[in-house]
Amino acid sequence: MTAPAQMLVQGAPKARPARRRNLNVLGLAPFVIFAALFLLIPVVFLVVGSLQDAQGNPTLANYGDLSQDFIIDAYVTSIRVSLVTAIAGGLFGFLLAYAVILGGLPSFLRPALMTFSGVASNFAGVPLALAFIFTLGHVGLVTKFLLDSFGIDMYGSGFNLYSEVGIEATYMYFQFPLMVLIMAPAIDGLRQDWREASANLGATPAEYWRHIALPILTPTLLGTMILLFGNSFGAQATAYELAPQVNLVTLVISAQMSGDVLHNVGLGYSLAVGMIAIMAVAIFFYTLLQRRSERWLR
Amino acid sequence: MPLVALLASACGSGTPAVSLVPVTGFTPDATLLAAAQKEGTLNVIALPPDWCNYGPMITAFTGATGLKVNSITPDAGSGDELTAITSNKTNAGPQAPDVVDVGYSFGAQAVQQGLLQAYKVSTWSTIDPKTVDPNGMWYGDYYGVLSFAVNTSVVKDVPADWSDLLKPEYAHQIALAGDPTASNQAIQSVEASALGNGGTLDNAQKGLDFFKQLQQAGNFVPTVGGQGTLASGETPILITWNYLAQSYADALKGNPAVQVVIPKTGRFGGIYVQGISAYAPHPNAAKLWEEYLYSDAGQIGWLTGYCYTTRFADLVSRNAIPAALKAKLPDDTGVVFPSADQLTASKTLITGNWKSEVGVSVATAKP
Repeated sequence: MTAPAQMLVQGAPKARPARRRNLNVLGLAPFVIFAALFLLIPVVFLVVGSLQDAQGNPTLANYGDLSQDFIIDAYVTSIRVSLVTAIAGGLFGFLLAYAVILGGLPSFLRPALMTFSGVASNFAGVPLALAFIFTLGHVGLVTKFLLDSFGIDMYGSGFNLYSEVGIEATYMYFQFPLMVLIMAPAIDGLRQDWREASANLGATPAEYWRHIALPILTPTLLGTMILLFGNSFGAQATAYELAPQVNLVTLVISAQMSGDVLHNVGLGYSLAVGMIAIMAVAIFFYTLLQRRSERWLR
Repeated sequence: MPLVALLASACGSGTPAVSLVPVTGFTPDATLLAAAQKEGTLNVIALPPDWCNYGPMITAFTGATGLKVNSITPDAGSGDELTAITSNKTNAGPQAPDVVDVGYSFGAQAVQQGLLQAYKVSTWSTIDPKTVDPNGMWYGDYYGVLSFAVNTSVVKDVPADWSDLLKPEYAHQIALAGDPTASNQAIQSVEASALGNGGTLDNAQKGLDFFKQLQQAGNFVPTVGGQGTLASGETPILITWNYLAQSYADALKGNPAVQVVIPKTGRFGGIYVQGISAYAPHPNAAKLWEEYLYSDAGQIGWLTGYCYTTRFADLVSRNAIPAALKAKLPDDTGVVFPSADQLTASKTLITGNWKSEVGVSVATAKP
């Protein structure tokens, strides 16, 4: 082929104006500034603070202190609570979203559920804890109702709101709605024609789920569950008001930083750096799972 | 009167006249008042309006001096207050506190970190000397006695002492007002129960034992009790400072009826201390505030909030307390105050062992 013909086939080389590239960078600036101010710089402060003692001298003692029994127990409990609420919250939230969108329910339910979820996913902290105390506490409305109307003694059968299980139940209140909100667009992406097409080709519902629906949904499912994990891991005010007996890392940190009694700020910083490390590990596992679930796309 | 003179001079100089409302029992020194008014604002921190009557006291102070009071994070704890000073050392903005009101053991800690400046109010000599730092860095302001706030519509047989709390009739009814690893009030509740359980201020282990018994008897509700849970009947017996208990009773106005019980034995006094920040953006306003707090007016203000004050003995000796107010204060004979060392030792013991001895993990026996 002659050179001009070759050029015609490949297309003329595009001239790249330098101006366009600078403008692209500008678009990134707000995010970078925001991330730097509210994510990067605080993390730097955390790490620097964790390496200092109360007088400001450099020390590794704060990390050494992390090996105390009750702190390790705190991390284990926090991870356990977060895993339970992430997985259970994820599954039930997904089922709820699926039921409302593709489950053949009355159409007014979807906007109602979405609006409610928008509010409920942000309802946390002291008001949430008190709401649960007033409904599920020893003399709570629901407790009394079940006892008086059906003779069901919740506390007699071992339920205790002021425990790890109680905290998990309370966290579910904002975990379900968050899952519903985030899964809704993904479920919308599951087109009805695919279901019909797979049925036409002879697939059973189970096969449809295994080969079509789940592979499409799994990346979003996993991503949202990690979000739920982080959400639950970082919750403090709800747990403090409801059941401060339960040994969670966020409660230990708040006791160090703002409590009236302990005041080892350096330990608070090192605990927080520990939390960041755990989240990093969680995200790493998520990335591995994500890669695997997206294999079919490549 | 100096206030009138200042008003006149303010009018004359063309600045808008602030109509000051004089407060009985508080006559601010003219020079200090002028210097404070030039600063114009006072930054306070961690002063909830219903704690020891701070709300009305701040209003009275503003009325008497014309200073604007900026109340930072009313729900903060003592640790937060020290952190606020440390983080704002070079910042003279509205987030930097001028004065702090912290738990007793935090006074020495603040001095160690260089966060306070010395100031002795004009009534210094009448303050109980056991409660102040001799160098004037911090000074005791008020104290309360740990009491039981009892919701009498739920609890028919009101407990009179610590040992009564173990009775089976109080199942699922008793709560603390905070977490003993974080809250001054809660940890001192545990220390107080030690006194009522045969222990001493030097050994808070009896307090931990008492709460372990309470937990195992099923009487202890491991949540943070407050006015809401007291009223709803979830925590009808709340262990809290008498001034908070009495203010809850007032706020609830009999719906439900709340009785405040000072235990027969084990009367534990918790003192809070005032201090002026070494980095205060408005040092003269801070000094004026302290003058107000330690004037008769400020003292009566705290007493109205059911808080005993460190100038109480002086006020009583001069008959400066109205009889009706005095009648409302609880009987605190036999109240004991721990020293700083005793507080530190108990703190370490209780915060270190609370979760392992009394925590939820004890109730659900772990292998």
